Amino acid sequence: MAEKPRIRLPKQAGKGEVVEIKTLIAHVMESGQRKDPSGKIVPRKIIKRFACAFNGKPVFECELEPAIAANPYLQFSVKVEESGVFAFTWTDDDGAVITAEEKITVA
Amino acid sequence: MRFISRRDALRLIPGLTALVWSGTIERSQATPAEATTEIGRFTGGRTADPGKIALDLPEIAENGNSVTLAFDIDHPMTPERHVTEVLVVADSNPSPRVATFRFTPMSGRAAAATRIRLAGTQVVSVLAKTSDGKLFVAQRQVKVTVGGCGG
Amino acid sequence: MLNSPSSLIKTSSRKGRFLAGGTLVILAVSIAGVVSLQTRAQNARLAPLAIEGPASPVPWVRYAGWPNRDTSKFNSLTRIVSPPAPSSPRKLGKEVAGDPAAGQKLVADRSRGGSCLACHVMGPAGGADLPGNVGPDLSEIGNAGRDDEWLFNYVNDARVYNPDTVMPPWGTHGIFSQSEIGDIVAFLKTLKSPAKFKTALDDPMKRPAPVEQRDNLDALVNPAMWQVEERAPTLWKTAGPAGASCASCHSEPAQSFRTWAAAMPKWEARLNKVLGVEEFVTRHARATTGQNWLMQTEEHTALSTYLRYLANGAPIAIDTAGAEVKAAYQRGEALSTRKIGALNFSCADCHGADKSASKWIRGQWLGELRGQLDHFPTWRTSQQSVWDIRKRFQWCQVAIWADDLPPDAPEYGDLELYLASQNAGQKLSVPGIRH
Repeated sequence: MAEKPRIRLPKQAGKGEVVEIKTLIAHVMESGQRKDPSGKIVPRKIIKRFACAFNGKPVFECELEPAIAANPYLQFSVKVEESGVFAFTWTDDDGAVITAEEKITVA
Repeated sequence: MRFISRRDALRLIPGLTALVWSGTIERSQATPAEATTEIGRFTGGRTADPGKIALDLPEIAENGNSVTLAFDIDHPMTPERHVTEVLVVADSNPSPRVATFRFTPMSGRAAAATRIRLAGTQVVSVLAKTSDGKLFVAQRQVKVTVGGCGG
Repeated sequence: MLNSPSSLIKTSSRKGRFLAGGTLVILAVSIAGVVSLQTRAQNARLAPLAIEGPASPVPWVRYAGWPNRDTSKFNSLTRIVSPPAPSSPRKLGKEVAGDPAAGQKLVADRSRGGSCLACHVMGPAGGADLPGNVGPDLSEIGNAGRDDEWLFNYVNDARVYNPDTVMPPWGTHGIFSQSEIGDIVAFLKTLKSPAKFKTALDDPMKRPAPVEQRDNLDALVNPAMWQVEERAPTLWKTAGPAGASCASCHSEPAQSFRTWAAAMPKWEARLNKVLGVEEFVTRHARATTGQNWLMQTEEHTALSTYLRYLANGAPIAIDTAGAEVKAAYQRGEALSTRKIGALNFSCADCHGADKSASKWIRGQWLGELRGQLDHFPTWRTSQQSVWDIRKRFQWCQVAIWADDLPPDAPEYGDLELYLASQNAGQKLSVPGIRH
């Protein structure tokens, strides 16, 4: 999980425009179903929650299960009325939180 | 994207053989009944209407490790009326829940995309609920390919 | 050719002598300079390579997690040892006894190399779920007027009826026992009506060929892009034990390698083999920066992917002119037609346009040779890792129950050269993304 999350969104938008945001984070999403070569179950370790807030207000959230593919990709929309900062958080099973921020200028 | 009849939407396609997926995964699988239970929890036992959810899922996935799923719901996203929650369920994965999405009026659109794992051919259901108590559903069977030489 | 310097400077004045001497020196230095430039240019064409030592671990041990069958008794790309075909069909003299229910299970058993459903539609067998169509539809074979002896011999070793068959010799190679073949024959005799497919997709004759539509060069789609966008450029600038990095000599890789990988593989006289990008990376790094990146290690895969990526858009165009290259091509072509493994397949059996290419084995499409190279190395979603073409060769071998070779085997070089020739003109698009 040393990689920075990847985020794609426009740098500028019109007031009231619905912008599409694409996010990806490198993570094995170990389902807890696989066995290692010795036959032991590899314990579950996944990103279990993703959240996006804009200027401090929650906009979108996703609860992920082991059925989400490795390197979880999430694409969603946000309607922007003002310039500001998106805050993204990914939460791992063990409570570790990864965060990222992106600015947008709204005309 | 196909739209299914109301009649079809209300019953999960039963009895499909769940195929074993490439080697390293445990063979335990949820049954369609467990998926139905999960859906029942979301809908509170009420009927869900088809037709509002445009669901993008392939008919055949060459491999179950990474299947793109996208949905777009035809519904306003105003403070008064908006989609609040979307549940994705797969009826023959080790565990039926795939993801839960939560939207707000600031979402602008009740639409999202992700990539999911499917442990074999099965039916994927997407259910949505709105702030004013409506329920929508879309379902698709995805055939997960069996590879050639037995690996 | 020069006269003795003393004769040339027999001029009267000292200044004259000095000037003449100076001119001579300048001339001599210039000539020496030109000669040394030519030598350097020649040497620059030959990239330094570590000639000694292997480019992969010795002894070669199959990857962990890959099937571990003992296939040493069957042909490989280095050995011809498979048991011979029977010279004639076996006379049975009686009906074959067998259990059709057991036979129905066996024909769908993936742990037995397919088995039959990989290539044949067979009525209800396997739930008529994505059967293949390399071989004919057998759903009505029970009505085709074939006697038990014919059916038995066909399954046991089809070569007694058709020496050019693609069908594995299930009996001769011991994949099914004689009594299991009896069960299969018993099942075949029950097949008397067309298969009932659950959906149009299950019918291999109606299934549309898969088209890869993902954007393989988008880092949000293809994890292999992280290798070429971040990992490889970092490795490029990292100094090795010898004190130099790749960047020490190649400061502008995006410029310098715009078409390099598209001209690989090449015949390498110093190694007396065909050298592909992957083995080149190992030997060149060892000889320059001192890094010992064996083939299939993580750093190695990142760099070989990167070098091919830098030539994206360039058409594959390998040298086919030299005598050594021609000989390698002949060898590669011969290797592509050699039947190997317990399943007794050659590359051409599955990927030859006149054989099984553009058909289905179970739910997997068999591509023609052309189109199989331009997207390697590729991210494989089923493996969650990047595979280069050598690893793909190795897997193909293991999948057909044949011995895999080390990734730097000369046979793989010949095969890669042959494959690259079949892919001349295809534009590189690396890293690819596949199932």
